[in-house]
Parts: sequence; C-alpha cells; structure tokens
Amino acid sequence: MMPAALDRVRCSVPSHPKYLPLVRSVVQEGANLSGFDADLTQRILLAVTEAVTNVIRHAYDGRDDQRIDLDVIAGEHELQLDLVDYGQFVDPKHIESRPLDEVRPGGIGVHLIKSTMDRVEYVKNEHGGTTLTMVKHGAAEAAAEKETT
Amino acid sequence: MNVTQETHGSATLFIVEGQVDMHTSPELRGHLRTALGNQASPLVVDLTDVAFIDSSGLATLIEALQAVGKYGGKLRLCGLSPEVRKLFDLAQLSTIFDLRDTRAEAVAD
Repeated sequence: MMPAALDRVRCSVPSHPKYLPLVRSVVQEGANLSGFDADLTQRILLAVTEAVTNVIRHAYDGRDDQRIDLDVIAGEHELQLDLVDYGQFVDPKHIESRPLDEVRPGGIGVHLIKSTMDRVEYVKNEHGGTTLTMVKHGAAEAAAEKETT
Repeated sequence: MNVTQETHGSATLFIVEGQVDMHTSPELRGHLRTALGNQASPLVVDLTDVAFIDSSGLATLIEALQAVGKYGGKLRLCGLSPEVRKLFDLAQLSTIFDLRDTRAEAVAD
C-alpha cells in the first residue's frame, strides 16, 4: 500500500552532475525506509542515477543550471520515485537502449532503469518537460502482484 | 572519486576510489587517455574501492578497451565488488573485459 501524501519527500537540485551523489543519498534513505536490502538498494541507486543523467543529457542538453525535482515516496516495502524536469519533453523511444550485444559506449541507461524498476512511466508534464515515475516493489509485493496477474 | 597511477613492471595501474558517474567519469577518462596516448600495455584499472559505477563509468571503460585494442594492447580490470560485478553482468560486459580477482594477478605479465 502506498503511503499518505505526507510521506512524499521532495529533493530539488540543479541539473549539475555534481549533485548525483546527493540524489543517491536521498534515495538510499528512502530505500532504507522501505526496507530494501543492500543489493536492491544498489540497483535502485543505479536506476535513479541513469534517470537523472538522462535528464541532464537529453531534457537539458547538458545545461547544468536547470531544475530537477525528485519526489521520494517511501512506502512499506515499496518505493516510488517521481523525477520531474522542466526541459524539453524527450520521447523515451528516442533514448531507447542499444542491443546489449553491440558493445559500444553509452546507450544502456534506459535498459538499466527498466531492468531494475517494476514500473517505469514517462509522461509529458504541465511544464512541457517529463515526469518519470519509477516504482520498485519489495519481494513480497512483487510476488503478490505476480499472483494476481 | 580519486585516481592514483602507478607503474608495476610493464603495467600501468590506475587505482580508482569512490563513485564513478557522469560527474567523475571525465576525470577517469582523462587519466586513461594519457596512458592510451602513450600506447601503454597492459593497462590495469583496480576497482576494489569503487563503491558505485554507472553507465557513464562503463562507457569510459569500453572506450578504453576499444582504444587499447587499436594498438594491440591489453586492458585488465580487477577487484570488482559483487555489486559492480552484477552491473557488468547486467550490461553483458563480463565476458568482454579481462576481469581479474586481484591486483597482483592483473599487473603480472
């Protein structure tokens, strides 16, 4: 069950890569609150890093003085991350992953996000940018969801 | 992130510590490019003290692997933590790179 709105914590950072460790720190605390183990937490940190990196690269074309909001919603055994940018909406199809057997630099960020998170949704927001919602279920919730589908 | 360079016989060793991401990978790339420019071989990157690496870090290592291959050199990685190793597995890179368990093994001729 997702928590009440009061459990939503917002982290706003400039679109400079130097803030990536800060973003990871906030998400790590959220993952701890949701009871994720170290292994899953590491995967979630990777996913959010890839997502923020994509915002800087694609939504803001590398500009480092723009705004990025990250809402961390730490439920019991479930973590939701809403990443909001105010740049240009980028169709996720345009930043799709390369085939993994093509070994070349780059092009695997989206793959790493989708292979980690249980729900990944890109929506054009009211600011013209993108809101990316990523949800990770705990092991018990993922099993229950599988049973109902 | 901190990068320390050492020479062990013919091997050029880079000891990387900290987190490798979009912010820090350009610094690692700079260190590697200097050695690649000198056609050093083998290049060894010790990741023992790397707590986190993302696709920017992987891209930097792939670039180095491709560059070293152009002059017939070798690139070895060592000391991958289980978390970092999982990322390599996930990206299907574990069989692409020459991965060694220890630094001593990686710098040996």
